[in-house]
Amino acid sequence: MSIFEKNQKANEEKPTQSNQQQEPESLSDDILLNISKLKTVFSFPANNALKIRNLYLPLYEKNVTVLFIEGTVDGHLIDTTIIEPLQKKPNSPLPKIDFISMLITTVLVTSTTKIITTLDDATMDLLNGNTIILVGEEPCAISVETAKFENRSVSEPTTETTIIGPKAAFNESAAVNRSLLRKQLRNPDFICETVKIGKQSSQQVSVMYLKNIADEAIVNNVKKRLKDIETDTVLTLSQVDQYIEERSYSLFPTTLMTERPDRAASFVLEGHVILIMENSPTALVAPTTFWSFIQTVEDQYLRMPHGNFIRIIRLVALMIALLMPALYIAVTTFHSGMIPTDLLLSIAATRERIPFPVFIEILIMEVSFEILREAGVRVPNTLGPTIGIVGALILGQAAVEANLVSPILVVIVSITGLASFTVPDVSFNITVRILRFVFLFVAYLFGFFGMAIVAAFLMAYLVSMKSFGVPFFAPLSPHLPSSKDLMTRPPIKKQWLRPLSMSPNQKVRSSKPKGMQNDD
Amino acid sequence: MKRISLLVSLIPLLLLSSCGDKLELEQHAYAVVIGLDTNDEDDNLIDVTFQIANPQVGSTDTGAAANEPPSDIVTFTTPDLLSAKELANSVITRKISFDHLNTIIVGEKLAKTPLFHHIIASAMIDPEIRLENTLLVSKEKASDFIDANIPKLETRPHKYYFYMRQRWRDTGFVPLSDLNRYFQRLSGDLYLAIYATTEKNEEVRKNEDHYVAGQIPQKSGDPVQMMGSAVFKNGKMIGILTGEETRMSLLLRQKPLSHYAIQSFTDPINNDYRISTQIMMNGKTRVKIDASSDIPDIKVTVPIKVQVFSNPSLTNYTTNLKHQETLKQSIKNELEQIAKDLIQKTQEEFKAEPFLWYLEARRQFWTNHEYEKYNWSEKYSNANVDVKFDVKIESFGAQMKPEVIRDTGKD
Repeated sequence: MSIFEKNQKANEEKPTQSNQQQEPESLSDDILLNISKLKTVFSFPANNALKIRNLYLPLYEKNVTVLFIEGTVDGHLIDTTIIEPLQKKPNSPLPKIDFISMLITTVLVTSTTKIITTLDDATMDLLNGNTIILVGEEPCAISVETAKFENRSVSEPTTETTIIGPKAAFNESAAVNRSLLRKQLRNPDFICETVKIGKQSSQQVSVMYLKNIADEAIVNNVKKRLKDIETDTVLTLSQVDQYIEERSYSLFPTTLMTERPDRAASFVLEGHVILIMENSPTALVAPTTFWSFIQTVEDQYLRMPHGNFIRIIRLVALMIALLMPALYIAVTTFHSGMIPTDLLLSIAATRERIPFPVFIEILIMEVSFEILREAGVRVPNTLGPTIGIVGALILGQAAVEANLVSPILVVIVSITGLASFTVPDVSFNITVRILRFVFLFVAYLFGFFGMAIVAAFLMAYLVSMKSFGVPFFAPLSPHLPSSKDLMTRPPIKKQWLRPLSMSPNQKVRSSKPKGMQNDD
Repeated sequence: MKRISLLVSLIPLLLLSSCGDKLELEQHAYAVVIGLDTNDEDDNLIDVTFQIANPQVGSTDTGAAANEPPSDIVTFTTPDLLSAKELANSVITRKISFDHLNTIIVGEKLAKTPLFHHIIASAMIDPEIRLENTLLVSKEKASDFIDANIPKLETRPHKYYFYMRQRWRDTGFVPLSDLNRYFQRLSGDLYLAIYATTEKNEEVRKNEDHYVAGQIPQKSGDPVQMMGSAVFKNGKMIGILTGEETRMSLLLRQKPLSHYAIQSFTDPINNDYRISTQIMMNGKTRVKIDASSDIPDIKVTVPIKVQVFSNPSLTNYTTNLKHQETLKQSIKNELEQIAKDLIQKTQEEFKAEPFLWYLEARRQFWTNHEYEKYNWSEKYSNANVDVKFDVKIESFGAQMKPEVIRDTGKD
C-alpha cells in the first residue's frame, strides 16, 4: 500500500517563510517626486503603457496629475467622470474642507474612489485599471475605479452542454463570473473573500461560499492553501488548482472545474467553496467527491425517473469505458468458455488472418483512437472535417480489410470511445482513459483475476483519498447522512438533507417531508 | 526511489506468472461434439470421435474460407477421453479445447457396458468438460451417428444441437439429459438419456408418439431422429422408453419440465379417428408415498388441462355435454392406462423408477441412514402405485357460437 500513499503537499508542512516585511514606501508631498517614482516603477518612457496627464485647475489653483495604464481603463469614463468635473465650475458652493476630501465628496462623480498613501498601492491600483490622481503638495493620492479590460460576452457552455437548464457560462472576467453567481444566489450570507496569490504580478482569487452553510474548517483550509502558493505568477485557475491539490501524482482529480454558474451555485448551496479568478472561464469547486465527476446538472433538472435513467446510462457507460477492452481481452484469452459459441467462432475466424496477438491488436486500435481524440482537439477548425474522414478510415472498414484488426474489435473500441464521452468531467475523463490501459494490461496478463485485483486496489485507493479533508467517496463511504444523491437520486422533495460529509452548518434544506422514515 | 525499484522488481514477476502458456482464441480447435464407442477389437479401449467446428465456415463473411467443410470429424482409439484429447494433437494442428463442448454422444453398445461410467466419470477431471453437456445415446456407433448427421438447415454443428435441445424441452418426447442429472441419478433410480439414431426402421402407427428413434415415418429431411429415451441404471444402459413413455415419465414427476404437449387420443364416439389435444399441467403433480410398510403405497395425482385442437370425426363435443363427459373419461382412462403400463414396465423390467419419487420417499424418513436402510429402489418394484389423472377440458376446438351463460342460481 505504501506506494499509494500520497505525497503530502510540501508547502503545508514547511513553516511559512517569514516575508521580509518592508515598510511600504509612502507618497511624498512633492508631486514631481511621486511622478518620477511611478515612472521608474513602470520604466517610463521605455514602456509607454503609463499615461500621464498634467492638469492645472484654475478654479482651485492647484496642479493635478492624472495617471493610468493604457489597456486597463475606460478612456471615456476618465474623460467624463474625472477630467470634465475637475475643470468645470461646480454648481453648488464648495464645502470648507481639505482639497482631497472635497474632490472626493463633491467633484468626482464616480462610484468608487479611495485615498491611497503608499507607492505600492498606487502601483497596484494602476495595474488593476484604476486612475490615480496626484495632487500637488499632498502626501496622498485619489484612486478612482475606471477599469475596463477587453472581455467577451457571456456565451453558452461548450464542455458542459445540457439540453435543458440555463445556457450561460462563465467567461474570462472575474467580475462577470461573480455577477453570474450572485444572480443565482441572492443571499446576504454569500461571501466573496479575496486572496492574493503570486509574488510578482499578484493575482486575486475570489473565495466564495455561503457563510451560514459552509464549514469554516474547509473554508480556512482552502484559503490557507491559496496563501501558501509560493510562486511569482499564477495565470489561471487551472494552475491554482494544481497548486492547491493534495496529490499531484494521483490519477484522480480532487477538485472540479465547472463552467456553469448554476452548477457552481448548487455546489455553494451544499457547503462547497468556489474559487473564481480573472482570466479563467471556469469556477473551481473544492472539496470534490467522486459523485461530482459522474453527475451533471441535468440529472437534477429532469424529473426524477428521467434524471435517474440518464444517470444509470452514464454509470453503465463509465463501466464500459473503463473495462470493455479489458473484458474482451480477458474473455478471449482466458475465459473463452464464456462467449457464446457462435460469437467465439466468428471471432476466431477473423482472428485467424490477423498477424498480431489480441493485445497488440487492441492496443493499435486504442492508441489510434486516443490519437484521433487528441488530434480532434488540436486540429485547426478549417481542417476539422478531415479528421473525421481519416479517423473513420483508421477505426473502420479499412483497418479490418487490411487484416490489422478484427471487426469485433472495431465494435469494442467504438463503444468504448463512445462511452468515454459520456463522462462529464474533462479530468475524470482522462483518468478513465488512462485506467483503461492499466486494466487492459492486467487483463492480458491475468484475465479476470488481474482485473479483480486492480479493481480492489483502485477501490482501496479511492476510499482512502481525501479532497480538502472530505473523503472521496463520502457520503457513501464513510457512510454519512445525506439525501442519497449519489448513483441515483431521490425526488427533489426528499432531498431535504445536505450531505453531512461536508459538515454544513445548516444540515437541512427544508423540514423533513412527511412520511419519510428517519434518514439513515 | 525505493518505491520505484520495488515496482520495477515486480514486473518480471508478472511475466513469470502461470498465464504464460495461454493461447489466443484462434489457436484452439473447439470440439463441439464428442462421440464415444467401444473399440471393435479391444473391449477395454474406446473410440473417441471429435467433431471440431471450423470457425471459417458459416460464422462470418469476412473470415470465410470457401473450400473447407464446416467441421472436421476424427476418431481415435484410446483408453479414455483425456488421452484422446492429447493424442488428437498429433493430427489436429490446433490445441483441442472442450470449452465449447456441447453434446456427448454415446453409442448404445458402449452405454450398455460398465466401461461407460468409468470413462465419463474420469473425464470430469478436465475442467473444460461441463456438467451442462447434453448426453445422447445413439442406436448405432456414435462415430457413424456424427458422420451421418449432416443437418440441412444448420451449417455449424453446435447450432443443430443447440436448437434441438430447445425443442426437446418443449415436446417432452425426449428427456432433458445432461451430465449433471446423470451424476445425480446414479444411486438406484433411473436416468433417462436422449435416444437418437440415423438408422431408419420406419413403422406407421396410429398414435403419433408411440415411437422410438428410427421408427418415425419420414420422407427426406434431416437424417437424425430423436425420440424416446435410453434408460440408465447405476451408470449402465438397461433399456429404452418410447416417446410416449418418456413423456409420461416426465409428467409423473413432481416438478414436470415440459409444460405443454400436443398429444392425440382415440375418439371415444368414433373409434376410427383420433382427437389431438394440447395437454398442459394444471398445477403440480401430487405424489403421496406411504413408506411405513415393506410394500410402499404410492398415490399420484396429475392435474392436467386439455384443449381440443383438432377433431377430424366432427363429433359434436362443443355443445353436447354428454359427449364432453365421455371424452373426458376416455382421455383420463387412456392416460391412466399408459401410466399404468409404464409403471409396470419400470417395476418389472427396470426395477427402479425414473419419476424422482425417491425425493418424496426420502422425506418419509428422519435420517438419510434410515432411508438407505429401507432401500427404496428395491421396495419400489413391489409398490402399489395408483395414478389418477385429474382432467379438465378447457375448450373443444373451433367454436361457432358464443357460449350461453346459464344462470346456475347459486348467486
